[in-house]
Amino acid sequence: MVITIASGKGGTGKTTVAVNLAYMIAQDAQHPTWLVDCDVEAPNAALFLKPEFIEEKSVERLLPVINHDLCTACGVCVRACASNALAIAGGKVLFFKELCHACGSCALICPESAIREEPELVGEMHKGYSGPLHFAQGTLEVGFSSPTPVIRSLKKWILPEQSDDIFILDASPGTSCPVVETMRGSDFVLFVTEPTPFGLHDLKLVVALNEKEFNLPAGIVINKSGENDALIAQFAQEKRLPILMRIPLSRHFAEAYSSGILLAEDSPALGGDFIDLFHKIKLHATKEKT
Amino acid sequence: MKIVISLEENNGLDSTASTIFGRCPFFMTIDPTSMAFEIIENPARQASGGAGIQAAQWVLNQGAATVISGNLGPKAFDVLSAGSAAAYRHEGGSVTDILKAFEEETLECLLAPNTSAHTGTL
Repeated sequence: MVITIASGKGGTGKTTVAVNLAYMIAQDAQHPTWLVDCDVEAPNAALFLKPEFIEEKSVERLLPVINHDLCTACGVCVRACASNALAIAGGKVLFFKELCHACGSCALICPESAIREEPELVGEMHKGYSGPLHFAQGTLEVGFSSPTPVIRSLKKWILPEQSDDIFILDASPGTSCPVVETMRGSDFVLFVTEPTPFGLHDLKLVVALNEKEFNLPAGIVINKSGENDALIAQFAQEKRLPILMRIPLSRHFAEAYSSGILLAEDSPALGGDFIDLFHKIKLHATKEKT
Repeated sequence: MKIVISLEENNGLDSTASTIFGRCPFFMTIDPTSMAFEIIENPARQASGGAGIQAAQWVLNQGAATVISGNLGPKAFDVLSAGSAAAYRHEGGSVTDILKAFEEETLECLLAPNTSAHTGTL
């Protein structure tokens, strides 16, 4: 079972929920459990779970290299490029690496076979353990703007086609390509939000993304829960999204978080709530499937 | 000789010139001797990325040797200079004003990009 933790807005507690949920499921020891940090631009789950890495792998993309001796500057590759990464000027093809999406079209279509592809390092992946919990993360190389290939490779490396293991995927904030790539193929998506107008606004965006792209069974966790919860509850009711857990706004939790302490370890009662959350997710994921 | 000017609007020779290159709304191609011109929507305006490159490629495909715009980013500049097209910077105003300044050689010729990438992104 694959559960994606998403939020729309950053700073709502997505990683907090992901690491605590994964930690508690693993402690429960009923299923082999994985935490996969797919926020490859800023992976931070490791700060809380302090994993020991045992294996690493690099992620590469293939970039075109133009052989100017063979190139006749016919312009076929320029027209084939959907990313405007190629131009033809002064009888020569120019290549702009920053715009290239590494689709390979130019190399395929070149009638003179003047384009070959060479690998470029775009990220790294690590896997290991944090106690009984399996842990994996991807890291985008500094200076690169597209995290999607790293997320795709990470999921390919870690997630088998069929498995009874539990995989908790920590997505990046927002609603753009990296979040779509993380959610793809999941069995359930858990939206972590906060009861503020900003939290609600971005929750609406990520809920709309799920409705449009995948329509995965979904539920909500309200973090920093308190007197303004109605803001979220009203929207949840409209969308028929269950509120599966509330984590109270608490200075103590904020202090524990800022010291890299797992809330579930710090507060056994809250730990129990995460186990409840997991059972509710299982229920909703299977109920909505049938 | 053919000149391309980036425009804010489609209003003939009275059109206000645009200081944006890659994502300006319209381009005018004009022959300053005969004053024969054509205005078209910028084909690169909606590009998800690389608008400057696509716009510069369009300019070269028109066979224009001169571009008059406001700000030119590094990638657009690379394409234009590889295609031996000269780039000039205007200070705003209508096409008529700008062509007059061009004839009087008071427009600044750009020898390097004068803005960073993505400046014209809305």
